[in-house]
Amino acid sequence: MEQAHTEPERQLLPAPLEPLGLPDAALETAAGEEAEGDLEEGSEDCTMKENNFWLKKIEISVSEAEKRTGRNAMNMQETYTAYLIETRSVEHIDGQSVLTDSLWRRYSEFELLRNYLLVFYPHIVVPPLPEKRAEFVWHKLSADNMDPDFVERRRIGLENFLLRVASHPILCRDKIFYLFLTQEGNWKETVNETGFQLKADSRLKALNATFRVKNPDKRFTDLKHYSDELQSVISHLLRVRARVADRLYGVYKVHGNYGRVFSEWSAIEKEMGDGLQSAGHHMDVYASSIDDILEDEEHYADQLKEYLFYAEALRAVCRKHELMQYDLEMAAQDLASKKQQCEELATGTVRTFSLKGMTTKLFGQETPEQREARIKVLEEQIREGEEQLKSKNLEGREFVKNAWADIERFKEQKNHDLKEALISYAVMQISMCKKGIQVWTNAKECFSKM
Amino acid sequence: MSGGPPKALPSTGPHSLRDMPHPLAGSSSEEAVGGDSTPSPDLLMARSFGDKDLILPNGGTPAGTSSPASSSSLLNRLQLDDDIDGETRDLFVTVDDPKKHVCTMETYITYRITTKSTRVEFDLPEYSVRRRYQDFDWLRNKLEESQPTHLIPPLPEKFVVKGVVDRFSEEFVETRRKALDKFLKRITDHPVLSFNEHFNVFLTAKDLNAYKKQGMALLTRVGESVKHVTGGYKLRSRPLEFAAIGDYLDTFALKLGTIDRIAQRIIKEEIEYLVELREYGPVYSTWSALEGELAQPLEGVSACIGNCSTALEELTDDMTEDFLPVLREYILYSDSMKNVLKKRDQVQAEYEAKLEAVALRKEDRPKVPADVEKCQDRMECFNADLKADMERWQNNKRQDFRQLLMGMADKNIQYYEKCLMAWESIIPLLQEKQEAK
Repeated sequence: MEQAHTEPERQLLPAPLEPLGLPDAALETAAGEEAEGDLEEGSEDCTMKENNFWLKKIEISVSEAEKRTGRNAMNMQETYTAYLIETRSVEHIDGQSVLTDSLWRRYSEFELLRNYLLVFYPHIVVPPLPEKRAEFVWHKLSADNMDPDFVERRRIGLENFLLRVASHPILCRDKIFYLFLTQEGNWKETVNETGFQLKADSRLKALNATFRVKNPDKRFTDLKHYSDELQSVISHLLRVRARVADRLYGVYKVHGNYGRVFSEWSAIEKEMGDGLQSAGHHMDVYASSIDDILEDEEHYADQLKEYLFYAEALRAVCRKHELMQYDLEMAAQDLASKKQQCEELATGTVRTFSLKGMTTKLFGQETPEQREARIKVLEEQIREGEEQLKSKNLEGREFVKNAWADIERFKEQKNHDLKEALISYAVMQISMCKKGIQVWTNAKECFSKM
Repeated sequence: MSGGPPKALPSTGPHSLRDMPHPLAGSSSEEAVGGDSTPSPDLLMARSFGDKDLILPNGGTPAGTSSPASSSSLLNRLQLDDDIDGETRDLFVTVDDPKKHVCTMETYITYRITTKSTRVEFDLPEYSVRRRYQDFDWLRNKLEESQPTHLIPPLPEKFVVKGVVDRFSEEFVETRRKALDKFLKRITDHPVLSFNEHFNVFLTAKDLNAYKKQGMALLTRVGESVKHVTGGYKLRSRPLEFAAIGDYLDTFALKLGTIDRIAQRIIKEEIEYLVELREYGPVYSTWSALEGELAQPLEGVSACIGNCSTALEELTDDMTEDFLPVLREYILYSDSMKNVLKKRDQVQAEYEAKLEAVALRKEDRPKVPADVEKCQDRMECFNADLKADMERWQNNKRQDFRQLLMGMADKNIQYYEKCLMAWESIIPLLQEKQEAK
């Protein structure tokens, strides 16, 4: 199925005329439903369905990362990391998995894939990539992209990204995505051939629309505010969490000094010596336990980061809506003014200023033939305009419907995932407390033997 | 997520939640919230405290365990038999009830000293007087003067140097009260010092100032004579055992100093950690206000972090009030002990010098002149007292530090238990199925 070259799955059917393109709930037509026919199965798994590349259940993993050197676009030597993507299909009967595809991709190719998806599925909340550069670091973490810990966390993030896309009912059917996982060479050319870069809305246009749109769907406006605030609060949270981690690290590590001094002190003591010495050992254990604890917490931070970036994806959908709505409003305005012009010409009254009118006044009236010609042109334009408006209107409503459906899906996912993240965070804290109790109980026992 | 690629939930952690045992699974795994494989602290306490020495309330130390073996000292006849279980104790002293006094010239705190005793040295069975820090200082000086061969317990520091501490804050006053109580109890436990006349007056006199003004009180023979030892005698060599004590005290003070610095550093780091936590918790609240289904879980996490912050604050307060002062006390103690060692050296030096002078004179027969004999007596008394006190001190030190360090461990255990409780209690809240949409 050639999805790459066509507008995403929507068949436009005629709908009742709606001049100013106000969203009208009553117009959830059969047209819209039928157009969704392709997606209607809504299955999360990409199993044996039509219009689907996945004949069997698949497993995707980003299993390895490797440092590579090569020449970049400017023919300069560069070092980058490549990631191995393995796809396995799972036999239903015995659950065994067979490796079907395996190829290497670098981060920039993931970015390319995502940008493509953003352009061709503007109504979908597209899963985000892990961060390009390490942010919200606390002092021990390296901000270096080549650092093994960073690379490892990025590997996990990239795998997560692919899993998200693969489990999305609409995105998983995309051919380019399929090729990303299966076609190593030439993939970049294939993506670029879709012409998605040209299709992309300019930032400027989008910004302009945001300011000037008059009647966006209130749900999207609210959603935009929500995503702004979500972004702000999660950023704040991550910043403070990094500082908390820093301080906690300090507290644990200083306790290690007890180990040394207790050992030295025990050397001059007779009865107290053994107890002190062994207690000191527990202090060392305590001090070194923080490393694992904080490493675990990084995964929690990564889960939060994913939703920080998801907020941006949400905003993108809202922006697209505003753009379409603005477009619609402009088209309607344009149509209205043309109609008015036409009317004035027909009735001979000049209510609106026009250059033609001015020159007519200055240089004399035009001939009836000339006027007739102009009216004809305008009428043609009006007809075209009405057609366009109709289709823009329909497009707009389709977009709102589909986007909102995906947003609802996203909300469910977000609530579920973040709850799981909070639970796992609580479990981490519980584990940390129990370790603390254990160590100090051991130390106390040593002290009691002093 | 239903039926996606059979990988676990698209979570970023290597421990997918499905791999971790369910928090409420109550399995034998250590991760399980319900199952707790570590013995409760109470059990441990009982086990380890079996036959160990009693820890008395108010942090008082029990009487020293062993009597000094030597009985040659003149003063040994005044020693009561130190008993282990405190049954035959006949003197009990407590410091409590601090009160602020505001006068025209100054403001100060007094403490109530309650004494109960059956000793003949006390006219009444019970006394209650009020004393201020000045009075304790006076007492200590008097004890040092009158019992120079003994180790006098230290007082808490007169002035507070570190930071701008309010002399009248509850914490400061309580810390000081505990230290003063310890001071008096140590004297009470001492077989010689507890019979000291100044001590008696301190405990009983209605008007201490009048007594202070009386001037020189009766000094013991030894005290007076030691006072008259002028310096300037050089000691050839310290006897091995006292050299060992000196070395020990040097290293001991050094290690304590290090521990003090470490403890202070830990408290500092903990306070900074606390500052960050106090900002961290509320952010979850802010987030909760944006959300629908997540509002309660987020609010729960915020409250939880708040509880942990409070627990941490309690820990740092406790360590500051209870741990650090005792360390400092012992550093002061070992300093004053080193001074006593030096005085002992002086006495020995004087004796050796006089002995040498006699040997050189050759006139006198083997009969040793009286004053040299006196010196020898003095020295031997000093040595015996010091040895006895050192042994007592070592035992008390061991008790005190065991208690101190166990206390430190305890406070940390309590802190973690409070946090554990907080986090365990929100797990059900987090897992709750939210019906409201």
